[in-house]
Amino acid sequence: MIKLLLPALLLVAIVLAGICLDAPAPRAEFTFVTRGEVSTLDPVQMSWLQDFRCAGLLYEGLTRLDTSTPDLRVAPGVASAWTVSPDGREYTFTLDAAAYWSNGEPVRAGDFVYAWRRVILPDAGGDYAKLLSCIRGVDAFVAWRAQAVRAFAADPARRGSAAAAESLWTETLEQFDRLVGLEAPDDRTLRVILTRPTPYFLDLTSFGALYPVFPSLVQAYESVDAQSGVQRTDPGWLKPGVLVGNGPFVLAAWRFMREMRFEPNPHYRDAGGVTLDSVACLSIRDGNAQVLAFRTGAVDWTTDVMPAYRGEVFAAKREFRTAHALDVERLTAAGAGEIDIDRALPRDPRAHAHAFPAFGTYFYNFNARPRLADGTPNPFAIPAVRRAFARTIDRRGVCEGILRAGETPAATLIPPRSIVGYASPTGLDPDPALAREELREAGYPEGRGFPMVEILVNAEGDHALIAQSIARDWERTLGVRTRVLRKETRAFREDVKSGRFMISRASWFGDYADPTTFLEINRTGDGNNDRGYSSPAFDALLDAAAQERDPESRMILLARAERLLIEDDAALAPIYQYVQQYLFDPHRLEGISTHPHSWQDVGRFRVRLNEATSEHRVP
Amino acid sequence: MLGLIARRLAQLPLILTAVFLATLALAWAVPGNPLERGERRPPPEVEAAMRAQYRLDSFWAFAGSYADSASGLRALRLGRGEGPTRRPVFDFGPSLQYRDQRVNDILADFLPVSITLGAASLLIALALGIGAGVLGALRPGGVLDAATLVLSLVGVSVPNFVIGTGLLALFALGLGWPPVGEWGRARDLLLPAFTLSLPFAAYIARLVRVGMIEALRADFIRTARAAGLPEWRVVLVYALKNALLPVVSYLGPAAAGAMTGSFVVEVVFSVPGLGQHFVNAVQNKDLFLLMGVVLVYATMLVVFNLVVDVMARWVDPRTG
Repeated sequence: MIKLLLPALLLVAIVLAGICLDAPAPRAEFTFVTRGEVSTLDPVQMSWLQDFRCAGLLYEGLTRLDTSTPDLRVAPGVASAWTVSPDGREYTFTLDAAAYWSNGEPVRAGDFVYAWRRVILPDAGGDYAKLLSCIRGVDAFVAWRAQAVRAFAADPARRGSAAAAESLWTETLEQFDRLVGLEAPDDRTLRVILTRPTPYFLDLTSFGALYPVFPSLVQAYESVDAQSGVQRTDPGWLKPGVLVGNGPFVLAAWRFMREMRFEPNPHYRDAGGVTLDSVACLSIRDGNAQVLAFRTGAVDWTTDVMPAYRGEVFAAKREFRTAHALDVERLTAAGAGEIDIDRALPRDPRAHAHAFPAFGTYFYNFNARPRLADGTPNPFAIPAVRRAFARTIDRRGVCEGILRAGETPAATLIPPRSIVGYASPTGLDPDPALAREELREAGYPEGRGFPMVEILVNAEGDHALIAQSIARDWERTLGVRTRVLRKETRAFREDVKSGRFMISRASWFGDYADPTTFLEINRTGDGNNDRGYSSPAFDALLDAAAQERDPESRMILLARAERLLIEDDAALAPIYQYVQQYLFDPHRLEGISTHPHSWQDVGRFRVRLNEATSEHRVP
Repeated sequence: MLGLIARRLAQLPLILTAVFLATLALAWAVPGNPLERGERRPPPEVEAAMRAQYRLDSFWAFAGSYADSASGLRALRLGRGEGPTRRPVFDFGPSLQYRDQRVNDILADFLPVSITLGAASLLIALALGIGAGVLGALRPGGVLDAATLVLSLVGVSVPNFVIGTGLLALFALGLGWPPVGEWGRARDLLLPAFTLSLPFAAYIARLVRVGMIEALRADFIRTARAAGLPEWRVVLVYALKNALLPVVSYLGPAAAGAMTGSFVVEVVFSVPGLGQHFVNAVQNKDLFLLMGVVLVYATMLVVFNLVVDVMARWVDPRTG
């Protein structure tokens, strides 16, 4: 019998060991959950919003976006001042003497040169390597480096030799200094020379991918791969206790996929602007569990409302607002913002759901290539056909019948009113009669002779439902036959990338406050131009805008480009504008920005702990 | 006994090689670019540099390089390096999806959680299963027997995510337990372990019930009763001991199943275990992570079965 009990005793020992060795940390003053896992804290490798939000706690760029201003103005960051040359091509930044790394070292101009070189070099694997191609010589340097690495790998005499790989690396650094218009004449001055005036450059310098890193730390983890000549960086420098940053917080602990814990950085330049004494970013993957965690008080801010019942969550919010319609009207008239209105109304859990416009659009790609992947002629190569299809989409039906969480029908690719000084074109209005007319003129009266229309979507979320709804619009109005193809996400992306589709779902989020962040992906041959759209007129408008010195005229040129893209050519059909879907108690949390840019300065959030003092009235 | 252990351990490298090549070939054939992480694509120069660095251009180059470092041969040949870039002996490489993590770190962080969860669920399964099995066997065909039969049917057939989501809603909203985001206390372990234990409990209940019914009819039980032993002693000591032998054999596959197959439960309860990486690595085509998890799971399966075989022989020398 003792022998029989042994397996059970063994299991008990394992469980006890597992529990005793693994105690959770106490709750942080402010906790939040994000949509997905933070994939990296290396600024160069970042790609996801949650990465950038956490990185904003740890690093600070030359400039920062001030979330306390409604239009998200550019404010000084590490750079306390800057001058721009009259031709708009040369920026000279003066670094704040009070800017220190979390290890007490001063932030130097050379640190930015080093960090930006990592962004520009293909070796670090950044998705944003193209972001700095506005700097003089960057394209030439990247081309030289790609060619040099290819030549190295193809040369049997050098491949595999550590000495040869090192010498290639030394040569690369020399080429960089020779070609690229980026220099640090002294520790507090950074000079950047651009190929063309770039009106949004100060917005770019606030962007997460351009945060500085502490060079001597990262260098200790770098090595050159003797086989390929490519430089490798071991991720060990990103561990808590090792990572050195210059932001308001330091990384106190990171238990991967469990919790990231941040504590104030005593060396931070603007420590007075920070009130939180600890921040935790929890990992909760299941959308339902995220909502439950918020409702039980374990979490203060949920950055995305993901469960299938989110429509009901936002319907309850609308109900709450309707119940206080008079107050809402009065407050709106007095100029109160969305969050201020919630704060002025009586406390109610229904008021914890918030939907603000986001800097992203959901749309359908039309394949514009003359032939489809199977070699048959592609009817969507004809702009009139694309216009007819784009005019027939019931976008309101998609937003109100399927999504139901505050999304708004989109007529344009660039979310309207998201960029100061940019007046969006009107887009194509839904017009079934005109759509049928255009289809007839294109040679398909009543949809006769039109091949089976295939809509390619990835098998996640609501994409297939939306596709079915739109397919029904097309069948009823245009008389075409349709089919929805669902594919697993990776396979879907491969098909889209190589043009194996007729119509495919797509989305795009802007990175910086300028129309080009949306328009450049439609340039002929751009790496993200999945549509295969190629219009010399469109490209020429983008080029003209790039050369235009007058900001107003430049915006007009860009608006003309967008009109050409979505009205005349209908290269893509906008469907809805994304919204930021948050859960937070407006009586407890302060500092959330409602700006469409979706940037949140988590380090400057404030939490009101005392219930009694948290009543906040708008006059 | 030693011969058995030596034979099984000698088979391990062969099994791992076969599992490695088969899994890698399947993962390689799946469409998708392992270097893509979102809607945005890396520029072509970046992609080329990454492919060269990770040997992603050829199946055999990748397989060779991976096997070299994962098997410890590279560390044996070249040493482990010095300073911050010092490598582990068995180096499973970087994760392509989670760029800040080495696969070794992920395994070290998440495997103990899965093992703890699996062990706790097996304990619950043993308690529930043996209890239900004994109760059922006392009066076969009686009310208790029917009740345990129905419960074990439910345990086997209702999927984990249904029971898990239900329990989560009940405890989180009803009792105000923070459902997730914390891990390490016995309380955090209870709900996921219970959910995970149900199918195993049901199977154990059936094993025990059949074994008990058979044992209670055996001659030695009649002898024991005739000798005037109290009934509880007859049932719980003499009969149960015999009924438990098949349960011990079942513990091997059950342990492997509970410790490696908890993906759904891990997601529902946000348990930071390894199961999710198994599935996510396939979806993300994160080749380094996928191969690391597969190799660890294969090793666990072989080792658990070996341990249970050894234990079964030791408990009952008649077997084997």
